[in-house]
Amino acid sequence: MIAKLRHSLERLRANEDQLALVLSVLIGALVGLVVVAFILLTGRLAAHMYPAGGAGWRRILVPVLGSLATGYLLWKYFPFARGSGIPQTKAAIVISDGRITMRTVLGKFFCCSASLATGIALGREGPSVHVGAGLASVVARNLGLTPKQVKALVPAGCSAALAAAFNTPIAAVLFSLEEILGDMHATVLGSVVISAATSWMVLHLVLGDEPLFHVSGYQLVHPGEFGVYAVLGVVGGLGSVCFVKLLLNLRIWFARLPKKTVWLQPVAGGLTVGLLGFFVPEVLGVGYDYVEKVLNGNIVVQLVVLFAVLKIIATAVCYASGNAGGIFGPSLFIGAMIGAAVGGVAHSLFPAYTAGPGAYALVGMGTAFAGIVRTPLTSVIMIFEITRDYTIIVPLMISNLIAFFISQKLQPEPIYEALEHQDGIHLPTAQSRAQAAKVQVQHAMRAAPALLLGEDMAHVHPDQSLSLALERMGEFGLNVIPVVSRANAHQLIGIVTLEDALHAYGVSK
Amino acid sequence: MGRSFIGTFGLVLLSIAALWVADVFLANVEKTETHAQAVRLFDEGQTLRQRGENAQAIERIEDALAIERTNRWYLQSLADAQVAAGRNSDAQATLAELLDTDSTDGFACLLMGRIAAKEGEFGTAVSYFHRAIYGHWNDHESDNRQRARFELIDYLAEHNSKEELLAELLPVEEHAPKDLKSRLRLGQLLLLAGSPGRAADVFRGIVRDEPANAEAHAGLGEADFARADYRGAQRHFEEALRIAPNDGNTRRHLEVCSEFLALDPMRRGLDPQERYRRSLKLLELTSAEVDKCITKNQPPEVEALLDKAASAQTAHVKAARQGESAEANLDLAEQLWQLRKRECKAAAPSDTPLALVLARLGQ
Repeated sequence: MIAKLRHSLERLRANEDQLALVLSVLIGALVGLVVVAFILLTGRLAAHMYPAGGAGWRRILVPVLGSLATGYLLWKYFPFARGSGIPQTKAAIVISDGRITMRTVLGKFFCCSASLATGIALGREGPSVHVGAGLASVVARNLGLTPKQVKALVPAGCSAALAAAFNTPIAAVLFSLEEILGDMHATVLGSVVISAATSWMVLHLVLGDEPLFHVSGYQLVHPGEFGVYAVLGVVGGLGSVCFVKLLLNLRIWFARLPKKTVWLQPVAGGLTVGLLGFFVPEVLGVGYDYVEKVLNGNIVVQLVVLFAVLKIIATAVCYASGNAGGIFGPSLFIGAMIGAAVGGVAHSLFPAYTAGPGAYALVGMGTAFAGIVRTPLTSVIMIFEITRDYTIIVPLMISNLIAFFISQKLQPEPIYEALEHQDGIHLPTAQSRAQAAKVQVQHAMRAAPALLLGEDMAHVHPDQSLSLALERMGEFGLNVIPVVSRANAHQLIGIVTLEDALHAYGVSK
Repeated sequence: MGRSFIGTFGLVLLSIAALWVADVFLANVEKTETHAQAVRLFDEGQTLRQRGENAQAIERIEDALAIERTNRWYLQSLADAQVAAGRNSDAQATLAELLDTDSTDGFACLLMGRIAAKEGEFGTAVSYFHRAIYGHWNDHESDNRQRARFELIDYLAEHNSKEELLAELLPVEEHAPKDLKSRLRLGQLLLLAGSPGRAADVFRGIVRDEPANAEAHAGLGEADFARADYRGAQRHFEEALRIAPNDGNTRRHLEVCSEFLALDPMRRGLDPQERYRRSLKLLELTSAEVDKCITKNQPPEVEALLDKAASAQTAHVKAARQGESAEANLDLAEQLWQLRKRECKAAAPSDTPLALVLARLGQ
């Protein structure tokens, strides 16, 4: 029996496609279960930190102590587990062949759980993506897969994590392609979809079929409402830019502080959120409970404006000071408050022509997400999946696009790219990757010397992308790769050297 | 490398199994703790409701619902509190949620019926009350259905919808509670529904069981009154007043009966003089009623009839011709009454002795 199983596994290992399929399922299940544990653990811890009817001083002391403890752990043991994890994941895929260590995964899991449970105003979704990517990387490397296979499985871990964290499998797939890989036609689409679906099923088996928010069905009341949604797009876009600029500038300010204070810096976030939370408890944590109330139209305009402003400040300070946690959840909170404020004002001015503030809060969530994270397609699908409300999708698209363009205009560098640049990491952008894909082997090829081609020798064709030639050279440890005809694999047309390739990209060695 | 591959594979499978167990454990802990929290919030909400602090109660119940979104009991209580707080549109949204998942929810239909009744939507209210009567109730189904039916009956009675009221009362009649209060109420409702015969049967049954029940005697009086048996009514009202002398309503009814009987010119056994005297009295009362109603610019037709009535009242009629004159007087009184109905803006009262006598004359 064991021998038979062993034989089957060996056969599986030999077949790359089948292995990718099976591993996608396994990673989906594993990541799904870890993320569910993460959600439950954080929720339970938070409930014990802030028991019902607890004293007000807890709201100051708990986040301060939480950020102090996690700040020390992050500094001492898990330096790569700070922040949201999205830039780190992207960097791992591009720079280090998808390598993320188990230590980082554990650090992210426990430090983030503690941070979020103590009320730090950050979200769980970005860290979940990092944990998912890390688990996929650890499993793939321990299975002895090639760097290419490891890299291909990391996005599967990301999509599985996001599918479970947000209960949004389609948005998870889109996010992995749109943001993590920056390529909507990536060849790993199959494994990304399979792992997202598996993870989503695991979530449903354990926690049941509940959307993140329960929302009453909203629809367009009057065609004139498109104008109000356009205004929401503008306000949401400006709010997103304010948030991103504040966060980035604060991060620069913290980075300038002496290195020896790094372990203490997260306390600034804890103290800020504690002081704000003492007076306005809604600022604490990710605030999904309050978002749901707002989505159902229970608002006072002045209050939601205040909450939006305070949340922008709290999240920016918490993130910039180096706490562990993401910005997805806070983006939704900020967007919902901005939307509710715009909707509340519009509804009081034109009650017969506009829907209630809840509808605008719903669209506002997508607007802020599109403005801050800059993934407009993902944000539309995500809002649809989070609320399961399809009727508001057209205003959502309009508002999202306006916010996206305003954000792009006023803050040209997307937040994750800017964060990478602040850390000294310069990953290829989607634009540069598209440009690079256009450079073909024939552009860098030189005449071939007399060379005998073996059957299994690595080679490329002249019309293939130069990046593929570089990948193959890296895979086989070559400094030079033969270029052969498509019509006859034995006909040598030329060669490409590493120097030639770099020269074609405008990089001189 | 082969062992590492298989070993890692096994380790991943083991991790999945272990995580599954851990997740299920954590999910159960969460379920238990959040359930306890929801129950606490809901209980707080119920306490606040009992104190009449509906706005705060709604907040607490909503918080409980945010934890246990599908709890129908919470949703029902929330809708109930929203109705009590006058937040009808919110309550309708909550009830719509309940009815979306179970359109036969008796409680939700009953509340919808109450809201529609408050908002003056008669047809919708009746429809929801019917759905509540035939709907599904979690507990005490029979009692709750009965309660819903009586709410509908009260609503129909309030709107004087006699035929529909009778249609609802007939099924209740057989299965109605046998306590005195319910039987008395049933009798009154049957009277309202325009079924004095059935009402009399109910009251008679009560009198049989409790001969000293003043309300039952009064009810019998009203049933006889409605059937125009004023002598029988007088007898029952007198009996009721003998038992409960301070009942003002019965006394008023008795006075009307007595006045009617004193005024009725068609009463059997009256001698011609008395009949003539009553016809004059009727003419006098009718003329006064017309005068009171049409004070200015009386049409010539009215003036002529009033003059005729005045002449009839002052005329000296010999005993032998009093029978013939009585007929003429009654005819004149009836003409004046018809004229009053036509010319006066204010409708003629239908329950005064004069109106009752003239109505009988008209028959």
